[in-house]
Amino acid sequence: MRPVPWQTGEICGPESAKSLTKAAVLKRDITKAKKPLLVVGSEAVTIKHGKGDMVDYAIALSKAMKMPVIATGGAIKTFLEKGFEGAKSMGAMEVAFRLQDADWLGPSGKGPYDMIMIYGIPYYMEWTLLSAVMNFGTHLTAIALDRHFQPHAKWSFPNMKEKQYHVILDELLELVGGGK
Amino acid sequence: MKKNAYFKADEADTGLGKFKGLEVRIGTIVDDEWDEPMGPTPMPNPTDLRAWDHKLLNRYHPSYMPYCQVCCLCTFGKCDLSGDKRGACGIDIKAQQARIVLAAANIGCSAHLAHARHLVDHLVEEFGPRTKLIQGPGIDIHAPVSRLVTGMRPRTLEDASIIVGYCETQLAHTLSATHTGQEGSWLDFESKVLHAGMIDQVGMEIADLAQISTLGFPKADPEAPLVQSGIGMMDTNKAIILTIGHNIVPAAAITDYITEKNIGSQVEVGGMCCTAWDITRRDPSAKVIGPISWQLRYIRSGKADVVVVDEQCVQVNAVNEAKKVKAPIISTSDKAVMGLPDRSDDPIDSIVEELVSGKIDGAFIHDHHKVGEVAVKVALAVKPKRRKMKFFPSKAKIKKMAEDCKKCSECIRACPNDQPVMEAVLAAQVGNFELLREVYKNCIGCARCESACPNDYDLHSWMVVAAQSDCEEEKYMVRTGRGAIQDIEIRNVGQPIVFGEIPGVIAHVGCANYPQGGKDVHDMAEEFAKRRYIVVTSGCAAISMGHVKDENGQSIYERRSGEFDAGGVLNVGSCVSNPHIAGAAIKIAAIFAKRNLRGNYAEIADYIHNRVGAVGVSWGAMSQKAASIAAGFWRLGVPVIVGPHGSKYRRMLLGKAEEERAWTVYDARTGDRVLTAPAPEHLFYAAETVAEANVLTAKLVIRPNDTGKGRSIKLSHYIDIHEKYYGYFPDDVWRYIRRDTDIPITLKEKILAQMKENKWKERRIIDPTLLKEQIMGGGT
Repeated sequence: MRPVPWQTGEICGPESAKSLTKAAVLKRDITKAKKPLLVVGSEAVTIKHGKGDMVDYAIALSKAMKMPVIATGGAIKTFLEKGFEGAKSMGAMEVAFRLQDADWLGPSGKGPYDMIMIYGIPYYMEWTLLSAVMNFGTHLTAIALDRHFQPHAKWSFPNMKEKQYHVILDELLELVGGGK
Repeated sequence: MKKNAYFKADEADTGLGKFKGLEVRIGTIVDDEWDEPMGPTPMPNPTDLRAWDHKLLNRYHPSYMPYCQVCCLCTFGKCDLSGDKRGACGIDIKAQQARIVLAAANIGCSAHLAHARHLVDHLVEEFGPRTKLIQGPGIDIHAPVSRLVTGMRPRTLEDASIIVGYCETQLAHTLSATHTGQEGSWLDFESKVLHAGMIDQVGMEIADLAQISTLGFPKADPEAPLVQSGIGMMDTNKAIILTIGHNIVPAAAITDYITEKNIGSQVEVGGMCCTAWDITRRDPSAKVIGPISWQLRYIRSGKADVVVVDEQCVQVNAVNEAKKVKAPIISTSDKAVMGLPDRSDDPIDSIVEELVSGKIDGAFIHDHHKVGEVAVKVALAVKPKRRKMKFFPSKAKIKKMAEDCKKCSECIRACPNDQPVMEAVLAAQVGNFELLREVYKNCIGCARCESACPNDYDLHSWMVVAAQSDCEEEKYMVRTGRGAIQDIEIRNVGQPIVFGEIPGVIAHVGCANYPQGGKDVHDMAEEFAKRRYIVVTSGCAAISMGHVKDENGQSIYERRSGEFDAGGVLNVGSCVSNPHIAGAAIKIAAIFAKRNLRGNYAEIADYIHNRVGAVGVSWGAMSQKAASIAAGFWRLGVPVIVGPHGSKYRRMLLGKAEEERAWTVYDARTGDRVLTAPAPEHLFYAAETVAEANVLTAKLVIRPNDTGKGRSIKLSHYIDIHEKYYGYFPDDVWRYIRRDTDIPITLKEKILAQMKENKWKERRIIDPTLLKEQIMGGGT
């Protein structure tokens, strides 16, 4: 599908994300990023990926990129159940607020961040979170990794078919040296 | 004191002589029987409480999430406000967001205020201006919000009118501030948001007080009647009149006519949204069909023989929807005429004849007495014919139609909750209706899926067909609105609330824009009621809360007390009843702490903010009214949590727990500046999930004034809920420990370790205030 907001009414302003159709296009941003952060929402718990779910994918991505995770909306419980200690819990709206601060060190104290990867928050809520980042967190490169287009990110998948989406997620993991 | 009186007599025979055409206007009357001293801010203007607002806004930072980067409100624009650009008027994106928040608060406030004005004027006409305002037995401090804000204690409808007049003036000011080239600072826009919210609380209080006093509602009654609720409760053997909206006046005319003619065995009235609560408060034989989101499904079922709409939250396509099922529709409010012909001045029989014959689809009738008679006569006349009609397609027909689905996904893209509508339609192709039934359970009834469908499928109707058996089983008993909280109830629980031993007062209010169905509201309420928090509720949330049965077939209202006490679940009523919740917090200050209320807003808000562990939750908040209601609570320092859709209000009010400056307060006893816990941490927050809302609710009831025992109880619940929903011991407990007595004994070891790790230091338990003038001796 075209890179248009997944929920029909959620159109944005003059600026819009670039369509991400190949993992390789992220190489430059990922290489440049010194302090990335992965934000994972509650829906990641129920979205399947490969033999696991999108929480497993977050764990793999986090390990590959040595990237701390913030789990929102109670997703932390699943991270902990899977024995992963690299995630901290925060609310999505708290994350939206704190990311506007270029000096914010984050819950693990490993910031300030220069890039976020994000997925799994209800579409419209992630849309608003990313709007805060785009307008007031301009020090950040935002990459949305949901299947549906998030116009307020710098990069976002363009409403992908499910199969294609999971393939490109695996490509991304491979790109950062994970998934082996 | 600003109070106008007006007296008119055609003829008067007095000691001074005989007068004809006598008119007397008095500019000011002082209520000299009231010896409570006047506080510093009676009838405040938009800037009179600005200093208090700034204290709140310095602690709770607006976090803007622009819904749009442009401004299109004037012909200078559209102006691109992205980045650090400014519009042609000079506004930047932050101020623009605050401006839109203010616009929403103004719209919400205006809806309640116009409702209040209509009610008061109507009731003055019906009962006279000197009609007494009575909140109920055991209430000396009636109308606490009005007293606090205006310095008046409204005792008659005439007083009510004066207060509404003050509110109208304030609304004109705050609305005008949104005009191009007026306010330019986000901070002052936000201050005016709080002002509009406060004015909204006053207007709502007056509206409910006026109707409680005159229309036979329960008066502060913990045992307000249990009434029938749910689609399955409507008796289709009778003619059915569906009333939708918020203003009881036309609906009351209908139930009155039925009572007067003794025809209750032939016709019944069901309501949706707040009109449902208010008709059952007046006549418990009326029924609460469902919340706002049930409108389409019930109209389309064709079971309603006549649809009567009043105002606010009405499905504005109701005329077309009613037409599809051949149900005559009557609009009654000048705010929602719906394009119908004005038949207000026509003879009743002529209107009835035209509606029954189908010559007209509907009529606008603003004479409410006429509405009662017309609606009943029409319903009785059309019922026999309509009962033979079928309006929903059969499952076989849906199966056949579904075969042509284009699989374009537009229905899913249009759904606010991303429901798998297309998959459900594809399942229906092979006769599997279970998925459509599942979608029904989470559906908010907006029908955007239908608008998007290129095949023009009536998808919402298909869901209702798939869930027909569930609809028939929707039979519940819900407690109608009790109105205010009695002073005696406050007296009994004031101390345990302020000391923290009753861990909190949780208010579930607002609309039905739920992310995953209304059951969540029930589950959240039950989670806290069983822990002996006090749960209060109103509006559509109160309906949804009652639409869940336990294993014994009972609703939450049947199994829990309606008293304002630990573990109670109290429905105060409709939207305009919300100030009874604010009023309870205000009365705690007056009754337990003996604080003066009269025109004394900042002191009382400071008291509530620091001492009363109240939290508002509006899980399905949708409207501008919900925004203004929330703003009224914010100005009192009461935090509000909304569901994930609430993020679309595009601005949160958030604290930073580690920001010591923000949590440093005065100790009123010594004047020292003392660091307190970050409590309540946020003032406005959209939670992503029920889990997050529950954890946050348990945290946001913590207040600086808690006693050691109270803090320990609150922390026990916070920790338990956190572990239950998040799966681990919260890592911020140490921040809330002032000294040993705050530590829950059974968790001492873990907490002590956390305190050590964070280099915790002991703090005093103080008499907290944000206001220097509250320091003993005046803070000089």
